[in-house]
Amino acid sequence: MFGNKNKTPLPSKSKDEMPYAKAGLNLKEWRNSHVNKHKWRTRRWSVLIGINLLFVVSVTFDLSLLEGSLSGSRLLGFYLMDPYNTFQVALLSFITGHWKYLTMNFVIGFSTIFLFYFFAGGRTFCSWVCPYHFLAEWGEKLHDYLIKKKKIKEHSYNISLRFVFWVGFLLLAVLTGNLVFEDINPIGILSRAMIYGPGLILLWILALIIFEIVYSKRFWCRYVCPVGTTWSMVGKATPLAIKFELDKCAHCLDCQQVCLVPHELWFVKKGAATKEVHNAGSDCTRCGLCVDVCPGNALSYTIKGWEKIL
Amino acid sequence: MSQTGKNLNRRQFITSGAIAVGALVAVGAGVGYLQKITAETRINQDFLRPPGAIAESDFIFGCIKCGLCVQICPVHAIKLAGIKEGLAYGTPYIDVRTQACDFSCDSMQCVETCPTAVLYFKQFKVAGEKAIEKYDKLHRTDKNYNPFPVQIKAMKSLVKMGVAKINTSTCLAFQGKGFKGTPRGEDFKGINRSPYTDDPKATLVRDKVYDEKVCNLCVKECPIGETAIIMEDSSGGGKIVPKVLKGCTGCGVCVMVCPTEEPSIVVEPIKS
Repeated sequence: MFGNKNKTPLPSKSKDEMPYAKAGLNLKEWRNSHVNKHKWRTRRWSVLIGINLLFVVSVTFDLSLLEGSLSGSRLLGFYLMDPYNTFQVALLSFITGHWKYLTMNFVIGFSTIFLFYFFAGGRTFCSWVCPYHFLAEWGEKLHDYLIKKKKIKEHSYNISLRFVFWVGFLLLAVLTGNLVFEDINPIGILSRAMIYGPGLILLWILALIIFEIVYSKRFWCRYVCPVGTTWSMVGKATPLAIKFELDKCAHCLDCQQVCLVPHELWFVKKGAATKEVHNAGSDCTRCGLCVDVCPGNALSYTIKGWEKIL
Repeated sequence: MSQTGKNLNRRQFITSGAIAVGALVAVGAGVGYLQKITAETRINQDFLRPPGAIAESDFIFGCIKCGLCVQICPVHAIKLAGIKEGLAYGTPYIDVRTQACDFSCDSMQCVETCPTAVLYFKQFKVAGEKAIEKYDKLHRTDKNYNPFPVQIKAMKSLVKMGVAKINTSTCLAFQGKGFKGTPRGEDFKGINRSPYTDDPKATLVRDKVYDEKVCNLCVKECPIGETAIIMEDSSGGGKIVPKVLKGCTGCGVCVMVCPTEEPSIVVEPIKS
């Protein structure tokens, strides 16, 4: 990701080379000709709601479809484990000697989910499964509206902060002998609230979302959440990515406007791209908002290396 | 990126990083403090851990609060703790007065399903296998060869959630009183299928009518049986009263069926 940035960019395209010129339109007409049908957003929200609903349905009707919650579950009897929880429990187990008791299900649960997201794109979890993401996505819309109306100011931080939190929460777990992060983890809290009934702890989620709306955009997801950071690391070498094709791009920057992690779309700016084809990096949640919005279809889902195989 | 830009970025990272570390230390200190003040209240009558729970200090780090044990329990005895339990928030417990663990399950699934083994299954598995071995030697040629109930009984006898304790001042038997009717009223939703009923349908406590000269509901309904609790003339004065023995597993069925307003028998968790 950083290696690409330091390379010399390709020369900017001339006006005649722009995709709107090829279609015989000007930029404004070309952008207006694109109707955003929110194809991928509809699919994504359906999957997100569907998965969380499956948990609720399983517990309500006593079915063994998808039992447990997002911190640990069984899909048709097959174990799945949250990776950050796994790290914490594994680390603490080696310190206290509990590792002798750990079962095969623990290993299977972790490996399955690890392998799945290794191929499905790491942070795909965030936008396609995480219930907090769903709330935060709406929060982000509200935040952007308030910024536009000049009611609030933006406060942004260095995104490397999440590594401080990632190590920090792991250290805290060791020092206190407690899964501290799971106590404040909005993913687990929301998941449990939906499955086992709400509790007072939801006030914490409310506080978090209000903070994100009025103070700092996507604060938890961008700078804190160690689960997302874990997925980001898992997805470093994933084949599923968002592909960018320079020759179809008119640098209108509509995609950066809607992107949930705009720094991953650094190559769409005029004169930024260093290659004809770029793939978005590991922070990309594969949400598909940019795919929906792009007038020239310069952005699309891809499986790296697929063309070579074919 | 220019040199000054880099420096600015680094300075920004160091400042916000310091704030992050500060926040983490604050959270850590808060957690440490909460852990200290809730350690006592966490382990009380209302906070009985499910069968096979390892030591509380280990339980609290190993439990990822997934709730698989909650969902698999056929009588819904296991619940997740609310926020008032402090750091135990989200971890499973059994409130035996509302719904005891009646051991009517097939294989102690709650323990078996636990992905992090804070409900530790292997000990039960070993006990069950030993029981089968023993049964095999004696009954291999029997017509009705069925080691399953023996295995399950051996597994369940190994559970040690707590020990029942009788309040002798309120217990009906200690006052020489009997009991007639249903113990917990018409609206009580508790299920009690023990001991070892073949009836697949759940039996509600409120559907059972008793008529006892001397109240012995706790003894009558105990799923473990005579190794756990018996009626005995302990003082030698002809008064027969319940007596808790070493085999008590702390399942709490006695607490659930106790007819007095406040239960005259409670389960005290094992403190280890």
